[in-house]
Amino acid sequence: MTGWVLVVLALCVVVGPFLWIFMTSFKTQIDILSGAWAFTPTLDAYADVLLSKRSDFGHAVYTSAIVATASTAIVLVIGTLAAYSLYRFAWPRWVTAGFLGWTLALHMIPVITLVGPWYLIFKELGLYDTRTALVLTHVTINLPMAVWLMMAFMRTLPPEIEEAAVVDGCSPVQAFLRVTLPLLVPGFIATGVLTFIFSWNDFAIALALTSQQNATVPVVVSKFANDYEVLHAQMAASSVLATLPALVLMFIGQRFIVQGLTMGAVK
Amino acid sequence: MSRITTFVAAFALCAAAHAATPFVDVGKQEPITILTPSTPWLPAFTKIVETYEEQTGNKVKLDVNPFGAVLEKARNDLRGSGGAYDAVLLDTQWTIEMYEGGFLSPFADIDSAFTPPKELLTYDDSGYWNEQKRWRTSKGGKLMAFTVLGNVPVWYYRTDVLKDAGVAPPKTIPEVLASCAKLNKPPSTYGAVLRGERGNPIRYEWQQWMLSRGATVVRDAENGDFTVTINSPQSKAALDDYIEVAKKCGPPNPGAVGQGDVIQLLSTGKAVQGQLVLAAWANFQDPKKSAVVGKIAVVPLPRAADGKTAAVIGNWNYAIPKGISPAKKKSALAFAKWLMSYDAQYAFAKAGGIPNRTDVLASDLTKDPNFSWMPAYLETLKTARQELGYAEGAQVEQALGLRLNQALIGEMSSGKALNQAAQDIKDIFEKNKRKTGLGPPLPE
Amino acid sequence: MIAVRRPRTLAGWINATFRHWSLLPAVILFAALTAYPAVDLARMSVSTITWQGAQDFWTFTPRRNFEALMSDPSLSAAVVNTLVFVAAAVVVEMVLGLALALLVGRMVRGKGAMRTIMIVPILVPAVAIGSMFKLMYNYDFGLFNQALAVVGLGPVSWLGSPSLALWSVVIVDIWHWTPFVFLIMFAAVEGLPQDVIEAGHVDGASPWQLLRYVTLPLLMPALTVAFLFRSILAFKAFDEVYLLTGGGPGTSSELLSLHLYRVFFEQNQLGYGALLSVLTMVAILTALALGRRVARKVRR
Repeated sequence: MTGWVLVVLALCVVVGPFLWIFMTSFKTQIDILSGAWAFTPTLDAYADVLLSKRSDFGHAVYTSAIVATASTAIVLVIGTLAAYSLYRFAWPRWVTAGFLGWTLALHMIPVITLVGPWYLIFKELGLYDTRTALVLTHVTINLPMAVWLMMAFMRTLPPEIEEAAVVDGCSPVQAFLRVTLPLLVPGFIATGVLTFIFSWNDFAIALALTSQQNATVPVVVSKFANDYEVLHAQMAASSVLATLPALVLMFIGQRFIVQGLTMGAVK
Repeated sequence: MSRITTFVAAFALCAAAHAATPFVDVGKQEPITILTPSTPWLPAFTKIVETYEEQTGNKVKLDVNPFGAVLEKARNDLRGSGGAYDAVLLDTQWTIEMYEGGFLSPFADIDSAFTPPKELLTYDDSGYWNEQKRWRTSKGGKLMAFTVLGNVPVWYYRTDVLKDAGVAPPKTIPEVLASCAKLNKPPSTYGAVLRGERGNPIRYEWQQWMLSRGATVVRDAENGDFTVTINSPQSKAALDDYIEVAKKCGPPNPGAVGQGDVIQLLSTGKAVQGQLVLAAWANFQDPKKSAVVGKIAVVPLPRAADGKTAAVIGNWNYAIPKGISPAKKKSALAFAKWLMSYDAQYAFAKAGGIPNRTDVLASDLTKDPNFSWMPAYLETLKTARQELGYAEGAQVEQALGLRLNQALIGEMSSGKALNQAAQDIKDIFEKNKRKTGLGPPLPE
Repeated sequence: MIAVRRPRTLAGWINATFRHWSLLPAVILFAALTAYPAVDLARMSVSTITWQGAQDFWTFTPRRNFEALMSDPSLSAAVVNTLVFVAAAVVVEMVLGLALALLVGRMVRGKGAMRTIMIVPILVPAVAIGSMFKLMYNYDFGLFNQALAVVGLGPVSWLGSPSLALWSVVIVDIWHWTPFVFLIMFAAVEGLPQDVIEAGHVDGASPWQLLRYVTLPLLMPALTVAFLFRSILAFKAFDEVYLLTGGGPGTSSELLSLHLYRVFFEQNQLGYGALLSVLTMVAILTALALGRRVARKVRR
């Protein structure tokens, strides 16, 4: 019983502020500043976000969608493969510890100090202000978490299942695809969701490596924090609009993963 | 018949030519990209850029970024091989870094015959750089940039509330305190609100009060004497004034009041006076942003009782990078020449910007109630100065801004805060091998 | 391991080298993009960099950078505040995230919907969270003080009081990041082998014993990773505190990430800033090592 109460309470706390943001997006600036609850709703903020010349929101959503999807797909593939390799194929200690340690150490470095060298690298390669640069850097920052997470989920699997598959004559690749992956679906989804979100919400890298034409959603949203005033309604509206496509993409992605991975499952 | 048609044709041609006459004839130029901050005056700037494009057919692209991002992008571009931007708008605090680093092209290098119009305000020479002295001055300095928007703080007040209470807009700090005694009715109304947030907010606002009493941060930076003089009795008096007004007239959390908060308190009507930059004026005239439309007026900042009026300038400077092609440099300078003209500045003002020419500021616009801020602006500009105009400016600001805030929230006495600030600032200058020292410490 | 035989088909070759080509892409990509920045960071942390004539000049000054570290007036406050912030936020988030995951895991219907809804806080852009919560915390007009007024309590200076400012930021962090822990733990809970838990039930174990001796040990790998990455992220937390308090009032909410931003970016001290980055890493490693020791003791 207390369980239910806690869950409902959690839901309220989680959704509450977001509902408040939603409401804020329909107010005028003065209503927001005075904390008014009785107000005439207006669509000005949404109009400014979607239609004005200052922000190129639609294009930013498109860019963010491509970058986030691509980087998530790449991270999931190479990250899961790497995690599986380390977990299953008895590499010498220095390889496992070295790779895991290296990824963790890099993850600890504040992004602000990584962005400078990356800017130079991509400028040299002629990839400044391209989606490719964003995809590559997002893969780099999300790979540590993906590898570690997938390894953790693999550790919770009973090892007998794989051995049974090998005894049955499955090749290593088949064992991985047909037996291990379907069991990892929940973990795969969690990793995918988190990677997608971190890529979608990345601000520091996108800001440094792109200009207006390839700006992503967080960069566009940040433009509503002016020199010395925040355009609250526009910021709220763009947050609402930023959340929805991401939710839709992840929902579709989840379905895709579940179907794709369990299709060839062997019981 | 033919004579009339000729006449009509000539007249038509004349009319057509006149309609498309640009404010300044700059000829055909390469398209340029300007690094631009996202600010409240951006709509006005965008409008003026569009006018330029229409009149001259030259293309100008604005790459708009939030405040901090402008610095990051400017650095990345200028330090790298360049080329992304043909002109950059630099906040006054960043100009020195760019001048010293050699990243920018002096205007004279692009066009040796170029001189800015004499009506163009220089805002205490923030666009000039004297390499020997490492100082921004037109004496022996090269023109590196010009001001696109010059901001000064002014004193905002509610015309209706002050009139009802029979209070005149204060000219001195004691008058401010006297007005608060009548107007401050917490929690519904604050008599006057000042910025107290740590760092740039409190440093910028307090420095006007400090300068008003004749105090300085260093003895003579222009001539290389960086002896720290911030902990003088005049400074202490100014800080004590500031804290007193903040406590007696403002909200109970003065140490967290930022610019957004001041605007919020004034536009909702909760505060009836406040110190704020002029560029925020437009906020109060928009019914969607303000509940006090038409009831706000500005006067120059109040001075210390026996002090002079003073103000610190915060301005955006248009500069041209060194590493771009000569054609692009010419184009960027052409736009600058156009923007400096009387007509362009007049149009800029009408679109909601702050003009940078004395003649526009004294034109028929002053009769327009929308521009009732102009007299206060002109008056303030007479004594307005640039501050912290050296390479260590950002560090000094943060050291000072921390100690001032700590004094404001009561963590230490004003004397101790200023002594500590002086010590911190001296350490900064020492590390950078400047000639520096300390004055006598204040009683704590 | 498969017996090694010379593979004669492409499929055979792929299988025999699976071990290698599964690991290589990640290693190559990661190394390619992190080698230069890591070396650059190391070099910067012992240098001073100045610019003249549009060229950069590096001088080897490890002593000077180290002295800057020692004499930095607000650094110790930043370190202490960061440790407090991370400890408070991460512990609360781990407990709440795990509890929610277990509770939702027991739900029969609506699990997918719950998971989707719980994602929302981490989906909202950080800059929006910072500004919106700043509005909510506003002393005169904010939502929280309005709520307090409704129940007759006086307004609280959430962001303006030195004793409360840091905790106000912690609260925002908890709202923002508990779903991170929840998502990971929920996936782990879904992957729990039901037969083991059934066996525990049959043996007559109480729910608490079941949790402590069966479920938690099984969830340990996921818990460790969630803790590890949440802690690292908490050490790097920047956007919220920058927008909410800017480190003030005084130094009460000054965090390492904010200090680093000031030094590296605003003050343009690249050398010292790089050293601060390295310091952040050292701080994280120390904190994690300490956490590991504490966890070992708790387990006993």
